[in-house]
Amino acid sequence: MPGKHLDEDQLCARCGDNVSVLTVRSEPLCRDCFLRYVHTKVIKRMESFRVRNAASDRPRKVLVPVSFGVSSVSLLHILDHHLKTQLAKTGRTGFDIVVAFVDSSAIETSPDPELRASLRDRYINHECQLLPLASIFDTDAGSTILGEYIPNMDSVEPSNPEEKLAALINSLDSATARADVQSTLRTRLLVQHAKSMDCEAILWGDSTTRLAEKTLSETAKGRGFSLPWVTGDGDSPLGITYHFPMRDLLKKELVSYAAMTDPPLTELIHSRVVTQSSTSSKNTTIDELMAQYFDSVEENFPSIVSNVVRTAGKLSTPSISGSPCGLCGNLAQPGRFGIEGWGGTQQKDSSTSNTSNLCYGCTRSLPKS
Amino acid sequence: MPPPPCALCTTNRAAIVRPKDHSKLCKSCFITVFETEIHHTITSNNLFHRGERIAIGASGGKDSTVLASVLKTLNERYDYGVELTLLSIDEGIKGYRDDSLETVKRNATQYSMPLTILGYAELYGWTMDQVVSQVGKKGNCTYCGVFRRQALDRGAARLGIQHVVTGHNADDVAETVLMNLLRADLPRLSRTTSIITSTPSTSDTTNIQRSKPLKYAYEKEIVLYAHHKGLDYFSTECIYSPEAFRGSARALIKNLERVRPSAILDIVRSGEDMAALCGPAPAHAADDGGGGCGRTESSDIGGAVAPGLEVEITSATVQKRGKKGGVAYVAPRQGKGQVMGKCEVCGYLSSQRVCKACVLLEGLRKGRARRGVEIEGGEGG
Repeated sequence: MPGKHLDEDQLCARCGDNVSVLTVRSEPLCRDCFLRYVHTKVIKRMESFRVRNAASDRPRKVLVPVSFGVSSVSLLHILDHHLKTQLAKTGRTGFDIVVAFVDSSAIETSPDPELRASLRDRYINHECQLLPLASIFDTDAGSTILGEYIPNMDSVEPSNPEEKLAALINSLDSATARADVQSTLRTRLLVQHAKSMDCEAILWGDSTTRLAEKTLSETAKGRGFSLPWVTGDGDSPLGITYHFPMRDLLKKELVSYAAMTDPPLTELIHSRVVTQSSTSSKNTTIDELMAQYFDSVEENFPSIVSNVVRTAGKLSTPSISGSPCGLCGNLAQPGRFGIEGWGGTQQKDSSTSNTSNLCYGCTRSLPKS
Repeated sequence: MPPPPCALCTTNRAAIVRPKDHSKLCKSCFITVFETEIHHTITSNNLFHRGERIAIGASGGKDSTVLASVLKTLNERYDYGVELTLLSIDEGIKGYRDDSLETVKRNATQYSMPLTILGYAELYGWTMDQVVSQVGKKGNCTYCGVFRRQALDRGAARLGIQHVVTGHNADDVAETVLMNLLRADLPRLSRTTSIITSTPSTSDTTNIQRSKPLKYAYEKEIVLYAHHKGLDYFSTECIYSPEAFRGSARALIKNLERVRPSAILDIVRSGEDMAALCGPAPAHAADDGGGGCGRTESSDIGGAVAPGLEVEITSATVQKRGKKGGVAYVAPRQGKGQVMGKCEVCGYLSSQRVCKACVLLEGLRKGRARRGVEIEGGEGG
């Protein structure tokens, strides 16, 4: 497995010349071959963005959201390298990158601003923008969310979006709900931004491992219906195309990759501290539980990780007949099964009055009032 | 501070925190609510019809015992007009099934229901103890699962009954949804969440339906119900414990439940929605093997994720059956055009020439012969 050091005399299985530095999917690889392996896995997913597909007069633009996790930083690095190669070979590029960071410091500890500065310095050729999470309320989607679903918003000073955001998040009754709504808002903000920047697609940094986590956690949050959209390449109901170019790489491979580039990417990565002991705590979120689960699965049964992603990939995209959920924007079919079994009442869920155009998953996160 | 009053009746003291939503209820309101939910599940899904005879797959464990007790209560209270009978399968596991069958026998008296016991020994000529002594503990759950699903069908057919209910609860369904995602089994994912399934039949055998009235009931609430009703059940795990990997899915479900109690139902809901995205259910074979017992805590009857045979009953398939004049069930086809036929050996439904159970039995027989030779050789030398 990556990171594990091997006997010094074992040669790389690909080039046969150099000494291997790690084992990837049972092949010992040297540093160069490993870096090439990672790049190939990503570039293969970028076929549609080749130079020959680009019109010469108007560059194609894509949004690359960077969270300062290992996957998104690695993606940016690989794409940057790829564009330089395209430029060197053909004199032009197949696409342009717009980098976006979401600043959620109003409600949680965020990566150090210095990280942003160093990342900007290092990838100086790309347009970078910092989006405060609270600016979601300047968009139509955001103001609808505020007006319809958040109780007692009138009492908050309307001119301060940060306070609105904090009030919204604090009104939610569990860590899972807070994390869920926060990530939904982040997604919607990024989509909004991508559209306003004339980007045709968003390239998400999710690794195989992250997509597997997302598959199970969206399932556990009652949003199984949305999996084809949120884990698959293609058109999202939010009106933009998603790509997941890192989908064939495991997280542990990216951790090794980030340490091997020259200079290493590790200094650009914000490591979130997840303590194992929090499994039993009520403040653990479903996303954290899944991340912990896949940490151990990735270690012991790596094939299971890709199984999950493959299964989600085989689901067909739901028909576009539903109406968009007011919060997450996915097209939700009206309640058919499970919710009827909820709560022990013969009536429909009593909270449906003010949450009627929410999907099943979002009704779980928003406060019942 | 005195305990708060019950959230429903507001007169009695609350004695139970409901696992499903953490509401505080008194004992009698909890029991009523639990029963009413199952009644709601049965009526909203039209599980039963008047005059129907129903076999309860009974293992003596908590789930099937609660199922039998609740169905008896509801049948009397709401006058379903169904005839209930207990059907037990004796896998032949000493120190486990023989004890639990004693519980089922007492249940039969307590609920005044007739009981039929059918053994693997009688049906297949092998008890699970004999199978395990031959194949070892690893993988024996496959045999048990394949044998049991046929055994329940054969038992029901023998009684002239076309509907078997099993004690699968919401935790089981949620666990199976996650397991099928983890092992990339889409066809099974689309079947496991449906509340009612059917073994399609060839024209000369009966078409047996399966349903899970406890599909939305939490395991913790089933235990609470059994406890507060003072039900007589057997709570030992199967001595041939199942795969470790399923255990990890089980543990994950329990952790999720702790973080958000609704998570179990939410997974069931997701599973139902994903089933709709799996395309039409393929007739995916009586022979895809696997399955196993599917339980860590109790090896309830029908606990197996039935290997392949089940087909979800939807209005579409029912219509199709209707058009055919209700005679033969047309199994939905897989891409390759897999068609359900009959096993050449035993006549049971099979997509292959020989059904899975007969394939397994043949393997066991060969193994026995081979081992016999080895032993002889050893003695001779």
